[in-house]
Amino acid sequence: MTHAELAVWSKDLFNVALFAYLAAMVASFAYLAFRAKPLAWASTGLGVAGLLANVASIVTRGMAAGRTPWGNMYEYSAILAALVVVAYLVAVEWRAHLRTLGGFVYAFVVFTMAMAVQFFYVGPTDLLPALNSYWRQIHVTSMIAASSLLGIGCVFTILYLVKDRGERRRVAAMQAQEPPPILGAAVDADTPPDLLPEAGEPDPQPAPGGRRGPLPSAATLDRLAYRFIAFGFPIWTFGTICGAIWAQEAWGRYWGWDPKETWAFITWVIFAGYLHARATVGWKGRRAAVIALVGFVSLFVTYYAVNLWISGLHSYA
Amino acid sequence: MAPTAPTSEARPTLRRSLAIVWRSLRSMRTALILLLLLALASVAGSLLPQIPNSPDRVARYLVDHPLWGDLFWRAGLFDVFGSWWFTLITVLLFVSLVACLLPRSRAAIRAMRQRPVQAREIDSFRHVAELAAPGDAVSAVAAARRVLSRRLYRVEVAPDGAALAADKGALRELGSLVFHWAFVLLLLGVVIGKGFGYTGRATLAEGQTWTDAAVNYDALSLRPGRYASGDHTGVGIRLLSFRSDFRSTGVPMDFVSRVELLDAEGEVAGTEDIRVNHPASFGGLRIFQFGFGWAPVVAVEQAGTSISEGPLVLGQDRAPEGVSQLAMPWRGFLKLPSLRPQIAVELELWPDSDAFFRSLETGQPQPMLRQNAPFMNYTVWSGRLTDPSLRDLDTRSMEEIGSGVIGAGQTVDLEHACLVGGGGAGDETSSACPAGTPTTLTMAFPDLVRYSVLQVTKDVGVPIVLAAAILLLMGLLPALYTSRRKLWVRAEPDRDGVRLQIGGFALQRKPQFEEEFAKVVAAIADATGSSDASAREMVEAR
Ligand code: HEM
Repeated sequence: MTHAELAVWSKDLFNVALFAYLAAMVASFAYLAFRAKPLAWASTGLGVAGLLANVASIVTRGMAAGRTPWGNMYEYSAILAALVVVAYLVAVEWRAHLRTLGGFVYAFVVFTMAMAVQFFYVGPTDLLPALNSYWRQIHVTSMIAASSLLGIGCVFTILYLVKDRGERRRVAAMQAQEPPPILGAAVDADTPPDLLPEAGEPDPQPAPGGRRGPLPSAATLDRLAYRFIAFGFPIWTFGTICGAIWAQEAWGRYWGWDPKETWAFITWVIFAGYLHARATVGWKGRRAAVIALVGFVSLFVTYYAVNLWISGLHSYA
Repeated sequence: MAPTAPTSEARPTLRRSLAIVWRSLRSMRTALILLLLLALASVAGSLLPQIPNSPDRVARYLVDHPLWGDLFWRAGLFDVFGSWWFTLITVLLFVSLVACLLPRSRAAIRAMRQRPVQAREIDSFRHVAELAAPGDAVSAVAAARRVLSRRLYRVEVAPDGAALAADKGALRELGSLVFHWAFVLLLLGVVIGKGFGYTGRATLAEGQTWTDAAVNYDALSLRPGRYASGDHTGVGIRLLSFRSDFRSTGVPMDFVSRVELLDAEGEVAGTEDIRVNHPASFGGLRIFQFGFGWAPVVAVEQAGTSISEGPLVLGQDRAPEGVSQLAMPWRGFLKLPSLRPQIAVELELWPDSDAFFRSLETGQPQPMLRQNAPFMNYTVWSGRLTDPSLRDLDTRSMEEIGSGVIGAGQTVDLEHACLVGGGGAGDETSSACPAGTPTTLTMAFPDLVRYSVLQVTKDVGVPIVLAAAILLLMGLLPALYTSRRKLWVRAEPDRDGVRLQIGGFALQRKPQFEEEFAKVVAAIADATGSSDASAREMVEAR
């Protein structure tokens, strides 16, 4: 196959993956609504099929360009999508046995890929010499990996906030209706289920009424969110450090407050704030979750807005 | 009425206020708020143009938005990362960090020295199990100790030998401390490096030698640190050759400056290729490929004596929207202040005449990727020179006296703007001087060479920053992924053996500990010879 043919293949496979993910999203939301097992299987099958097409698209792209296929925003988005799906399938569906959350994750993936097609498509071309560095490969790979993990963490944070609200309402309603039980511990409506005396992760205990409704309990969602963010944060740190090393090699300064660098720093600081908030009395739970959401917005700006609207050394879209 | 002595709470002494400030700085909440403020300030710094990065965009902003521009200017928003309030937030954060770290470190050292403490009551822990085992209490506890030691717990056996306390996971606190101290080190490295170092740009044409001294840097490009002494290394760089490779599409592939490095005594220390992403390190300096361009060698003679000779560094015209930058000509000014009247020559270089003529034919600007029969359009100005810049000419005090074209290898008469001696193929656009022209002032264009712009940096902080970054990561991993766990075992004589009580809890990663606890209990059961049937495990949630 010639390079031009490979490029066309890559583009077609990208579209196949996009539509497979879209279908997986629909199937997964349908499963959430109707709880029919075949829908969950269909969602997983479509997700895996999409993943295969996605990976094939990345590989053919690399062959067409004759280099590693992470040189511009279009290519980053393709890899980001693949990594998010892998992380979701492995960590959530396979390890945690949760099948109700896929729709939200696929929605995120579909959005990322649609943005890539809409705004960032370029043919497979050579790289500028400044982009042609060993450190750059490591930097970009870890930034994308970290983005995918933080992205999933934030999907779960949103779900946590939604679910937590529902649970609080139910607890409040229960308290209003029933007299407090005479024996056993009373449910304290003011204490969210994840509020524990020590820092770190919340308990796996289901919250009152937590197993009701289509989603896992708020505590489970919160723990999942924390896991993904605590996994993504050191990778983000590592990626930023590699970026600084690359900048030192390419431009002679490891940090220049270029917009992309600045936003990577902002995102890092906000997620560090999230980790602190979880260990701070009075900031746990909802407030920490809100900080994570702000971090997500910042991640989003780092990823897209800087390239689309703010120019700098990093604008290689 | 004797005044009552004020109670100690009622008198806010300076000392007490300081104590309060110190205490609130130490709180995690303060650190959290400062972190978020730092993020907020950086947002402002990325949304508005910044003076160090893009001074021309700041200037444009000030013209376009006079009101807001003025306001932002006063607030320091055009140099956020150099503003006093950004520094203030950073300093507060670091004071808070150190205030937090000192007691934490002291406590951590104390905790690490302290042996695990025996529990009074094992029943009350989160995870509890009971085993019945044969033998006596001391040997059962000794067996449990071996199990726990093998699992890397720190174990302390009670004096009577019938109980033990164990813990694991000091690495978490240690990692967290390493991480936070590494952050302090990082700031130190940045401050030292930026404060005592300097950075600037050196421009040199092929064959030229540049020496590290303050006067030799390109105008306005030298940025010494706040505490820099002003001494430079005296190290020299000679540009042997410069090469650039482009794909046919005009995508740049590689830029290479081949240089000879000279030590402060002028001795050649070695030859090096400097390219993008491949800087050279020499004599405490790091030298990076920054830019490049064309430098025509021009020689001016007046009545047979040379007044000026050498390569002239030209800048490239900025391409208009939609035109490749590579298609633009190069421009500069040759200034001859010693003549009366003073003379300036504006030079516009087209390094590839083929591409130039193709542009004329097709109406499409063609990129000029290499040297190919280069020529220059020149304009001669006469009058009074007001500034020495090579990139600009103030024509208010000068008048144009002629213009023409000069090809490589040709010589022109500057006063009459005509070709002397017809040095090459007849070029229709330039006319040869009529016979008998009294030629006194000539300009020759014998050669066209490349110049290279190198970024020269001295930053002694880089190794510190790198070390800090590595420590940061090394501390972060255990701080996030390990957990502190505590276990206790007690043996009491029972009918025909001992009854072992095991209790414990984890401060983090509790779901994982549930599994680990079960495994530990099973291992102790194995080691003490307790039959599985007698293990009464009560892993219960409190
Ligand atoms: C300079 C910016 C700072 C950054 C980037 C930062 C980052 C972090 C990170 C990533 C963690 C790990 C969180 C975890 O273990 O879950 C952490 C933990 C911690 N930080 Fe900071 N920190 C900073 C400043 C501070 C300051 C100023 C203080 C004290 C006032 C502080 C006190 C703590 C404490 C006590 C923990 C342990 C939390 C725990 O694991 O229970 N940090 N920090």
